[in-house]
Amino acid sequence: MNRRRHVWWLGLVTAVAGVLPACGRADPHVLTFAGSAVGREAEIIRRQLERFQAANPGVTVELRPTPDAADQRHQLYVQWLNARAPDPDVLQIDVVWTPEFAAAGWILNLDPFGPATEEFFPAAIDANRWNRSLYALPWFIDVGMLYWRTDLMSEAPRDLEALGRQAIRARDHAGVPYGFVWQGARYEGLVTVFLEHLGAYGGQILDADGRVVVDSGAGVKALTYMRDAIDVDRFVPPAVLTWQEEQVRFAFQDGQAAFMRNWPYAYALLEESPDSRVAGRFAVAPMPAAEGGVGTAALGGSELAINAYSGDPATAYLLIDYLLGEEQMLERARLIGQYPSRPAMFDTPALADALPVRRDDARRVIERAVPRPVTPVYSQLSEILQVALHRALTQQQEPDAALREAATAMQALLQRVRLAPSGS
Amino acid sequence: MSVRRPQPDAAGWRAEEARLGWWLTLPAIATIGLVAVVPIAWTLWESVHLHDLRMPWLGRPFVGPANYIEALTTARFREAVGHTLIFTVVTVTLELGAGLALALALNRIVRARGVLRTAVLLPWAVPTVVSALVWRFMFESPAGVVNGLLVAAGLTTAPPTWFADATAAWLPLCLADVWKTTPFVAVVLLAGLQGIDRSLYESAQVDGAGAWRQFTDVTLPLLKPALFVACLFRVLDAFRVFDVVYVMTGGGPGTATEPIALYTFTSLLQNLRFGYGSALSFMVFVFTFAGALACLRWLAGDTLLDRAR
Repeated sequence: MNRRRHVWWLGLVTAVAGVLPACGRADPHVLTFAGSAVGREAEIIRRQLERFQAANPGVTVELRPTPDAADQRHQLYVQWLNARAPDPDVLQIDVVWTPEFAAAGWILNLDPFGPATEEFFPAAIDANRWNRSLYALPWFIDVGMLYWRTDLMSEAPRDLEALGRQAIRARDHAGVPYGFVWQGARYEGLVTVFLEHLGAYGGQILDADGRVVVDSGAGVKALTYMRDAIDVDRFVPPAVLTWQEEQVRFAFQDGQAAFMRNWPYAYALLEESPDSRVAGRFAVAPMPAAEGGVGTAALGGSELAINAYSGDPATAYLLIDYLLGEEQMLERARLIGQYPSRPAMFDTPALADALPVRRDDARRVIERAVPRPVTPVYSQLSEILQVALHRALTQQQEPDAALREAATAMQALLQRVRLAPSGS
Repeated sequence: MSVRRPQPDAAGWRAEEARLGWWLTLPAIATIGLVAVVPIAWTLWESVHLHDLRMPWLGRPFVGPANYIEALTTARFREAVGHTLIFTVVTVTLELGAGLALALALNRIVRARGVLRTAVLLPWAVPTVVSALVWRFMFESPAGVVNGLLVAAGLTTAPPTWFADATAAWLPLCLADVWKTTPFVAVVLLAGLQGIDRSLYESAQVDGAGAWRQFTDVTLPLLKPALFVACLFRVLDAFRVFDVVYVMTGGGPGTATEPIALYTFTSLLQNLRFGYGSALSFMVFVFTFAGALACLRWLAGDTLLDRAR
C-alpha cells in the first residue's frame, strides 16, 4: 500500500513539477504552500490562506496537500528540493528536518527577513538554527507529557520511581491491566520516549560539542529502567513494543492504563470521544525526573520554511509571518488543540478558553522541552538508535551493549559525513 | 544499364536471412536493453559512487568498492542475508510439502474439481499487503484472535507478544507466506500430476508396487520438472521477500526479521543513500541472477532436453 502510494505521489509530483514552474514565473505573486491537509487541519489552513489572500490583493496561494505520514512527506520534500523545483514556496516541515534541509542548501536563511525570534519559545528557535543562522520558524509545539488518572491517585508522581510504584499499585489494586503505556514500536516515537527517560536521568544523546554520549551511565540507567518496567516490574505491557501513538491512546482511553506518555493531541480526543472511558478522570503533568536529572519533554512540532529556489521569497515570508500571527495560532489551538509557539500567548485568557488543557500545565511542559539532536543527519542517527533501543527492550541485547554499539555506529556516521567534532 | 543482382548462392542467402533476423529482433533487443540492461548498468555505476541525496555537500565522488566493503562489514547486512536464507529455506520447504499434498489430494478428486481448484487458489489471489495485514491483526497483542484462542484452549495463560519477540515473530511471518503461496505450488504440481500417464500406475500395480512405491518410483520422478519449476519460482520470490515483512514486522523487533530487500529499501528510499543502496541492490541482483541461471541450466539439462529427445 505504502509503495503504491509512493509511486502515485511520484507520478503526481512529476506531472505537477512540470507544469507549475511555468505558471510560477509568469506571475511572481503565486505562492504554493505544502503541508498537512487532512480533516480539521485542512479546513483551518484553507480558511487562513483565504484570509491571507483577502488581506494581500494580488497574491494567490495554492495549497499543495502532502502525505500525513512524516516519512512519506519527507521523501517527497527531498525529491522536490533535490530537483531544485521552485515550488512549493513555503513548506511545513518537522522540527528535526530543519538542519538537514538547511545544510543541504534547500531552505532559505530567514535572518535577513528580521524575524522577532524573542517572541517564540527559545528551545523551538534553537532547534531551527543551523550554523547559528535561523532557517525556519516554529508554527506549533508538540511536547511529550504524562497523562495520569485522577480517579486512581491523588497526585502526579514526583519521580520515575514513584511512577513505577503508583503504576504497580494501580495494576494490582485498582483493576487496571496496565500501569504505564508509551510508544515502543521501532520508530521515531520510541526515540522521543527514550529521550524523556534519558533527560530524567540527566543524560543526552549528543553533548554540547556534538559528541555521541548516549552510552553514558545515564543512558544505560534510562534504558534499563524502561526495560525493567516491561520485564521485571511488569507495569509496562510488552505490547507497547509494537504500539505507536494511537494504540497507546486507545489503551488509555479504554481505561486500561494508569499512566500514558503522549503528545498534546490526545487530550481533546480523550475528553470528547463518545467512547472515552476516562473523560473527566485524567490530567496531564510533565514527565517526571529521576536521580541526577530533570523532568524532560521531547520537543516536537511543525515549522515553516521557505524553499531556497522560491521565485518570490519576500511574499513567501509574508505568508509565514501571517500564519504565525496570534490569531491564526489561537484558531489552531481552539480547533485542534495545538500549542502556540509564542510564550506570551500563554498569559492570555483567550488561550485558556481555546486549549482543553490548563495553559499553565502546558507551559510548564513546554519550558522543560529539549530538542532532539540538531544535526543534518538526525534521521540516520535516530534510525541507529531506534534499532538499538528496540533490541534492548525486546531482550536481544543488554542495554549497555546495545547503546555502546549504537554510539559507535553514530560516531562513525558523523565522521563519514564530516560532521564529527574535531578532536574526537 | 540495369544492375542485376547476382543469384544468391546458398551461403549468401543464409547470411542475408541471418541479417534480416537481426534487424527483426533489433526492436526487442533494444527494448530489453532499455528496460533491463540500462537500469542495471546505472545501478552498477551508482554503486561505486558516494551519492547521498540528503548530503549534497559531500558531492558524488567515485569511491570504488567502498560501498560494497561497507555492506560486507556491516553486521546488519550480514544478518539480513542470514534472515533471507532462513526465510527462503523454511517457507519453500513448507510450501513444497504442503503444495504437494494438496496437489495429490486435488488430483484424486473427480467431482467439483473446477470449483475446488478455484477455492484453493484464493489465497494466492489476495494481494499480499491485504493478507499480511490480516495475519498481523490475528497475531496482534494483546487482543489478537490467535492469543484469544491459545488462552481459550488452555494452552497458555500468558501468550507471547509475537512481534516483540525475536524468535516468535518468525512464526506469523512464515505462516502468512506459506498460506499465501502454497496454492501456487499446488497448482503447478497438479498440472505436473495430470501429465503423468495413467497406464504407468496400472503397470506398476501389475508389478506389485504398493501405493508408497508407486509414489516414490512413478509420481516423484515424473513430477520432477514441475517440482523444479515451482521450487525455482518460490526460491527466487522468497529471496526477494519484501511486502509481507514490511507490513507485518517492519523487520523488527530490532532488526531480527529484516530480509535483504527491506534493508535495501531502508538504505535507498528512507535514508536516501543512493550509492550504498545501489551496491546492496546490485549484490541481490547478482545473487538471484546467478541462482536463476544455474537453475535454468540444471532444469534444461535435466528435463527439457529429455523431453525434446
